[in-house]
Amino acid sequence: MKKVAIIAQTKEGQLSDASKQLISYLSSFKPESIFIVALGEVKFSSIAASSSVDVVHLSDGLWCDTATVQPLVSALDGYSVFGIKSIQVDNLLSLLASISSNEFVSGIQQLQYVSGSYSINKSIFSGKASLSLKTQTASYFSFNRNFDFSGNAEFAEQPIKSSSTLTPGSASKSTIKSLKPITGSIPLPDASLVVGAGRGLKDPGNWTIVEDLAKALGAATACSKPVSDLNWRPHHEHVGQTGVKISPNLYIACGISGAIQHLAGVNGSRVVVVINNDPEAPFFKHADYGIVGDVNDILPRLTKKLQSH
Amino acid sequence: MKILVCISCVPDTTSKVTIDSSTSQISTQGLTFIVGPYDDYALSRAIELKESNGAEVIVLHVGGADSEPLIRKCLALGADSAVRIDGFPTTSSQISNSIVNYVKQNPVDLILMGKESIDYNSGIVHGLVAGALGYTHFNPVMHLDLSGDGLNLEVEMDGGKMDVFCPLPAVLGCQEPIAEWKIPSMRGIMTARTKEITVLPFESVSQIQIEKADIAETARKNKMIKAEDAEQLIELLRTETNVL
Ligand SMILES: Cc1cc2nc3c(=O)[nH]c(=O)nc-3n(C[C@H](O)[C@H](O)[C@H](O)COP(=O)(O)OP(=O)(O)OC[C@H]3O[C@@H](n4cnc5c(N)ncnc54)[C@H](O)[C@@H]3O)c2cc1C
Ligand SMILES: Nc1ncnc2c1ncn2[C@@H]1O[C@H](COP(=O)(O)O)[C@@H](O)[C@H]1O
Repeated sequence: MKKVAIIAQTKEGQLSDASKQLISYLSSFKPESIFIVALGEVKFSSIAASSSVDVVHLSDGLWCDTATVQPLVSALDGYSVFGIKSIQVDNLLSLLASISSNEFVSGIQQLQYVSGSYSINKSIFSGKASLSLKTQTASYFSFNRNFDFSGNAEFAEQPIKSSSTLTPGSASKSTIKSLKPITGSIPLPDASLVVGAGRGLKDPGNWTIVEDLAKALGAATACSKPVSDLNWRPHHEHVGQTGVKISPNLYIACGISGAIQHLAGVNGSRVVVVINNDPEAPFFKHADYGIVGDVNDILPRLTKKLQSH
Repeated sequence: MKILVCISCVPDTTSKVTIDSSTSQISTQGLTFIVGPYDDYALSRAIELKESNGAEVIVLHVGGADSEPLIRKCLALGADSAVRIDGFPTTSSQISNSIVNYVKQNPVDLILMGKESIDYNSGIVHGLVAGALGYTHFNPVMHLDLSGDGLNLEVEMDGGKMDVFCPLPAVLGCQEPIAEWKIPSMRGIMTARTKEITVLPFESVSQIQIEKADIAETARKNKMIKAEDAEQLIELLRTETNVL
């Protein structure tokens, strides 16, 4: 790895913890130079890394076709390019990789780099299996959100050597008509704690007990597909095979049966708690902690316990 | 308007995935295959557009002859013709190169795909195809309507959604609720029998070597807590697993 680039989103001008960990992880390979491509504002002036860092910030707008991303393709020539999986990061990496005729591996769970060759473990079948692959030529890589960065070496803060803004190569023929950010709640894909609820809640009016528990924990809320199909909850909360895939530290499933299509979206969770009044619910087989009980009884008691200290 | 829908043929999610010890790859023995669920949404929207505005819908799959019954099902749903690129791709670039080679010979206005295949979960084939063809790329698209000489789309982004106008030609990754899944009609099944599936050779090579597949062991604790002791959960989450 001679020259490494990282495509990272920023929030309020700062890199996410996962992006910082990725930078220190890549630093342990002692690259000649590190280049950060920021999607969003840049308000940081130093970063823990092995060498000095150049930053380029992509101006607002749509980077959605060959003509617009061309300046970035040129800027990244000769770099190995990395990112942490997200919609925008993977979309950009796939366009850039194919325009520059490089191969792209996504869904990386483990990576080793020894004398010019990458050995990669990629998660497949929604985490049910993995694939070991080797490549010397691929130069675009996207890591899963639950990639294990523990054991990273510590690096000193390095000042940013240069910082500039890159604008699209030509005005895109696509136009944004409106932006609809989800506000007021913790975005589900980023959440480290998630409370999910299913048809067992019986009525959308009963969601207060789910929201109260989520609030006491500082967790995001999620739901099963029938719940969003019934319009009890917004579509973007639906997790599973056809919805969002989450990999939080803790997932609490309330009144959800544990159908395989639901599990496909939550398998990556570190600790799973299941609360269901049916002791035969299939979800219990996939739980770290299970409570056979009525959500109307259990959830308020857990909330109260959390609020008590 | 010509719409190409690219489909993956994947093991049904209820299948138990096992490893074939002689090849160290995923065993296909005893698995039921389905058209990828997101790809099914893409196809359903293409057929709705054909019905409402008139369009030619072509289905493309890169894979072996075993997939033909699933390709037939797409024809029964209303696709006009199908192309199968005959081979066993092991990487995303082999799939995208095959699609790109086909489209270079047979240009289309719109390419619809699923946002991701449920076997390899890469979510990148649409972006790779768009980059190589120089088409506009959006993913994942939740609503799609025709508008003048382009499309109005609702697209999910990290932390929200946006409405965009997208010119053609374009490559889109689709997800629900873009369309309702459809069931083939009797008439559809009859007419599909005479529709053509063109088989083309597979020529793409990849520099990525697949060594082996493994089953992921996710050992869960399976600890049960009595309902009357439910509050203990909070203590266990704090001390035993350190997630709080
Ligand atoms: C192709 C395909 C894709 C799909 N994709 C998804 C997906 O992405 N995500 C998804 O979630 N589903 C998906 N599904 C649907 C999935 O198969 C299940 O139907 C769905 O997950 C069930 O939702 P549920 O658990 O909320 O409801 P149910 O199956 O109705 O389960 C409700 C549960 O609540 C329990 N319960 C009832 N009352 C109480 C109470 N008072 N207290 C405690 N527990 C109670 C019941 O015992 C039951 O286990 C998909 C299906 C298909 C065919
Ligand atoms: N073998 C294939 N043949 C045709 N299209 C495919 C194939 N595999 C994947 N695709 C398309 O590419 C999309 C994204 O797949 P992936 O990048 O593997 O997650 C899928 O939803 C399909 O629409």
